[in-house]
Amino acid sequence: MSLLIDNLHASLENGTEILKGVTLEIPAGEIHAIMGPNGSGKSTLSKVIAGHQAYIPTAGKILMDGADISEMSIDERSRAGIFLAFQYPNEVPGVSNANFIRAALQARLPKGEEIDAVAYYKHLYAQMDLLEMDRKFTGRAVNEGFSGGEKKRNEILQMIMLDPKYCILDETDSGLDIDALKIVAKGVNAMRSENRGMLLITHYQRLLDYIKPDRVHVMADGQIVKSGGPELALELEAKGYDFLKEPALA
Amino acid sequence: MSFQDTDSAVLDAETKDAIDVDRTKGDFKFPENHKFDAGWGLTSATVDYISDVKDDPDWVREFRHKALAVFESKKTPTNWATTDLDNIDFDKIRYYLSDGQKPKRSWDEVPPEVLETFERLGIPQQERAFLAGVEAQYDSEATYSNMKEELSKQGVIFVTSAEGLKEHEEIFRPYFGKVIPTGDNKYSALNSAVFSGGSFIYIPKGVKLKQPLQAYFRINSESFGQFERTLIIADEGSEVMYMEGCTAPKFETATLHSAVVELVALKGAKIQYVTVQNWSSNVFNLVTKRGLAMEDAEVRWIDCNIGSRLTMKYPGVIMKGERARGEVISIALANTGQHQDTGAKMIHAANNTTSNVVSKSISVGEGRSTYRGQVHIPKHLKGCKNNTECDALLINSSSRTDTYPAITVKGNQHATQHEASVSQVSEEMLFYMQQRGLNQGQAMSLAVNGFINDLVREFPMEYSVELKRLIDLEMEGSVG
Amino acid sequence: MTSTLPAWFTARQESAKARYESIPTPKRGDEQWRFANIKQLKFEGLSGVVKDTDTSEIIARSTGLQSPAAKFVFLNDEVISTASSLPENVICLPLAEALEKYSELVEAHFMKQETRLGSAKYAALHQASVKNGLFVHVPDGVEVEGSIEIHHWLSGETTVFPHTLIVTGKSSEVRVIEIFRSTDDTTPGLSIAYKDLYAGPNSGLDYIAIQELNEVSRMIAIKETSTDRDARSKSFILNTGASWARNESLSRLEAPGAHSDMLSVSIPDHEQEYDQRTFQHHVSPNTNSDLLYKNTLYGHSKTVFSGLISVDEKAHHTDAYQTCRNLFMSDDCEANSMPGLEINADQVACSHGSTSAQIADEEIFYLQARGIAPDQARQLIARGYSVEAVMRLKNEETEALILKFIDEKFARIATAGS
Repeated sequence: MSLLIDNLHASLENGTEILKGVTLEIPAGEIHAIMGPNGSGKSTLSKVIAGHQAYIPTAGKILMDGADISEMSIDERSRAGIFLAFQYPNEVPGVSNANFIRAALQARLPKGEEIDAVAYYKHLYAQMDLLEMDRKFTGRAVNEGFSGGEKKRNEILQMIMLDPKYCILDETDSGLDIDALKIVAKGVNAMRSENRGMLLITHYQRLLDYIKPDRVHVMADGQIVKSGGPELALELEAKGYDFLKEPALA
Repeated sequence: MSFQDTDSAVLDAETKDAIDVDRTKGDFKFPENHKFDAGWGLTSATVDYISDVKDDPDWVREFRHKALAVFESKKTPTNWATTDLDNIDFDKIRYYLSDGQKPKRSWDEVPPEVLETFERLGIPQQERAFLAGVEAQYDSEATYSNMKEELSKQGVIFVTSAEGLKEHEEIFRPYFGKVIPTGDNKYSALNSAVFSGGSFIYIPKGVKLKQPLQAYFRINSESFGQFERTLIIADEGSEVMYMEGCTAPKFETATLHSAVVELVALKGAKIQYVTVQNWSSNVFNLVTKRGLAMEDAEVRWIDCNIGSRLTMKYPGVIMKGERARGEVISIALANTGQHQDTGAKMIHAANNTTSNVVSKSISVGEGRSTYRGQVHIPKHLKGCKNNTECDALLINSSSRTDTYPAITVKGNQHATQHEASVSQVSEEMLFYMQQRGLNQGQAMSLAVNGFINDLVREFPMEYSVELKRLIDLEMEGSVG
Repeated sequence: MTSTLPAWFTARQESAKARYESIPTPKRGDEQWRFANIKQLKFEGLSGVVKDTDTSEIIARSTGLQSPAAKFVFLNDEVISTASSLPENVICLPLAEALEKYSELVEAHFMKQETRLGSAKYAALHQASVKNGLFVHVPDGVEVEGSIEIHHWLSGETTVFPHTLIVTGKSSEVRVIEIFRSTDDTTPGLSIAYKDLYAGPNSGLDYIAIQELNEVSRMIAIKETSTDRDARSKSFILNTGASWARNESLSRLEAPGAHSDMLSVSIPDHEQEYDQRTFQHHVSPNTNSDLLYKNTLYGHSKTVFSGLISVDEKAHHTDAYQTCRNLFMSDDCEANSMPGLEINADQVACSHGSTSAQIADEEIFYLQARGIAPDQARQLIARGYSVEAVMRLKNEETEALILKFIDEKFARIATAGS
């Protein structure tokens, strides 16, 4: 049971190659982190896994628990269990948070089956309490007028509610103050499970103080250039990304 | 924006059923069974025929003939409006079709095919559920008109315009044609010449109707023009909500609907006029609607246009008394083959009057939506305020939208504000929603419903549910 | 004009004359003249009498920037003074001279666009009658430092037809400031001006018009701007003078990356009327335009603003904004706004806004509480209101010049006790 990214290549429509052969396996039950400088392709990787149309996969495979999801549409992948917490979550004007999550859950049910509204709200409120989100957020339009921290918490709320198999968190820590970061980490840690794999994309080692990764990967120029244990993150923090180049020069 | 053809084809069976049922809901017809038919084309003889059949008083006959002359003298307004208007051939329209029966007070007396028509449209059911009174018009005349008994005891009048002008002339005549003069525009003149059907409503002083009155307009015959005429007078301190719906079968030839609706809200009265327009896509819908609001009175137009080939409708409010309020809440959805040319007219004619216009349009496929607005605040008034917001949403790359407001303010004691925007559902927003598991059609419907959500709330519950469903259906075909 | 006029030019003047005669005079009910005062189009009243004017005095009165890159003074379309420190390869000549020396270059650009905003008849009259103006041609890669300054003086009961043709080559930069004034305060004149602006690829073209004719004169100013790939055009109109001024400004965004700023400040008083029509025409995808017009109305003055953003079918990824704001300073003024949108493409972000309001009592109170008299407070707020549009020029020297004209207008209003 794993999310396996195998020699994945992806380009923009104009031909620019962004992912140049990424190979990465996130077994269920583990949390992996990807670090890397700006422009290394980290965010692109998350979007390609989710199926964003702007990127054209040119080679490689994405296997979820052994099944190839490369040909699936965005929403099929989502319903199959891929969740992406966005770096910049979109606003959906006029659509309330509660209705949005409900619509997403409804989309996962078999035909003719309806969500039990009472149970839904009970569950939703419990998760909001965990994330210290005010109840008024249910009635507000998705992400509209939310602060940066509120948007990120809202992403975690959706993640918990949709109960995915594999979670990809794209710079969920960026722009958060330490209190908000702790709350987000609390949500993510609550999601830790034998049956779930997670991939954290981050710039900063700080996040990894609160969410302990099993493995750390470094991405540069569209490839994974180094992998290691949690200590790799500390080393990166101390030495910066430049030290990665040293072996190449030597 | 082009959408990949991913999930739009994958509709669940339930949705499919709903679409199938709905698409044919208004699209059926019965054989014509008319005792009175004014024939093709419009001449002074047509007007006399209508007057004869309706046994008009002389003043009405004269009113019609004068209007016909005005209609003939006025040019088609293609200098500012669409040239599609030139495609109306006034010689190929029938101006009056009826079975000569008076409107029935009970559904049991209504001819079976007419009853079936309205049952399929759900009118008797709605009447039982939440309406204070219903008038159902079939081609030129009302076939059914009734309201709850306690309302007549309170002095409420809810009859056809023909009954109104004969039996309540003393209330009817002073306001008839006064809010919208015959010569207001070519189509108001046309209506004034050949009008039949429509409602006359009088709400006595202080009477506040808890439930809405409803009119339903049904066209059954091909190449036919429906010209109903409605006058609502809300006496001092009274309140009424009036709702109208309309459908027609899809014919090969163009059908014309040209109504005139006049509202009079006397001191402290409140009139809300709700329209859900769902004509079939061969109907030219050229409607003039205006309300007069006296001191502390309020007129609200809540208007939704989904159907028709071309709709031209700019509901207006003349705020004639101090502190009068006028409002237009408008939703328009233009799909391929449709042009929704709608807007609002706000004429401030007294101090401290306020008006509000919120218009949202959605253009789908090759549909075109247009907003035209007029706000007029003349000299030597104080404290007038207008707020106008119009937002347009474009769904496909061949969709089109235009906005043409005109705001005139004289004097410095007023405040006006106008804002308009054009946007579309961005691909990134759709990606976000799809990533949460919604297919493209669902994501698009959700986004569009979000766009108009705040306005849909202004419609009565029963209508807003219907409205959302209609919009969902229109959106289903827009992707892929 | 000399007899050396090129044949193409005389031919076009001939056909323009015929066009002028065949196009009907605008009348009530014409959409493009909605809310307009059509009576202002009766030009017959002018006697044509031109007084002798002391040119040296006019030259002395032609003050503008401290040290412009070039300076031209016209009196009734005749050049009375020229000065230039422009780089040699920049062509900057009176039009009459340019027609002789650079006939082909002028022909390539002269009045090429159709006048669409209502004054086609008067554009034809201009073309049939134009005698002079300025031709500016900046070659590729040349960035002109400082500004080219043009003074147009109107003297006597006469009609002038000043023409301005500016062409910028690839990656060049230029700024041109024109000032329109009357030699006295009491003689009615008429100016029918036409501006042809071509911003070449990746160039920057700033054009500023300051209209301070006397309050018995009239002006029609037609401006056609064409902005090419990655070019930035910026235009600014200040209206403080004239009894009636009609500005028609059309900006075409011709190629991806083109950006157009359209700015205006108008401060009418007494019976002054300013009628402004604008058109932001997005022909190509990935273009943007931003319009801000600010009117401050005193006395019995009147403004008309009719603006249209038009996005052509293939012009996706367009950003276009349009804002017209009216500040009412008296109870007898009138503002008409017609902000329009015609959108035929998608992936566009377009909006327009229009407001009319007066200064809130609380604002006055706040300034009074700081010791400022109410009249002065109102003037201060009104000035600040205009400054927002001026600041968009992002050139201190030019902003200071415009503010000088604005301050002079406010000073006149204050003395008159409007």
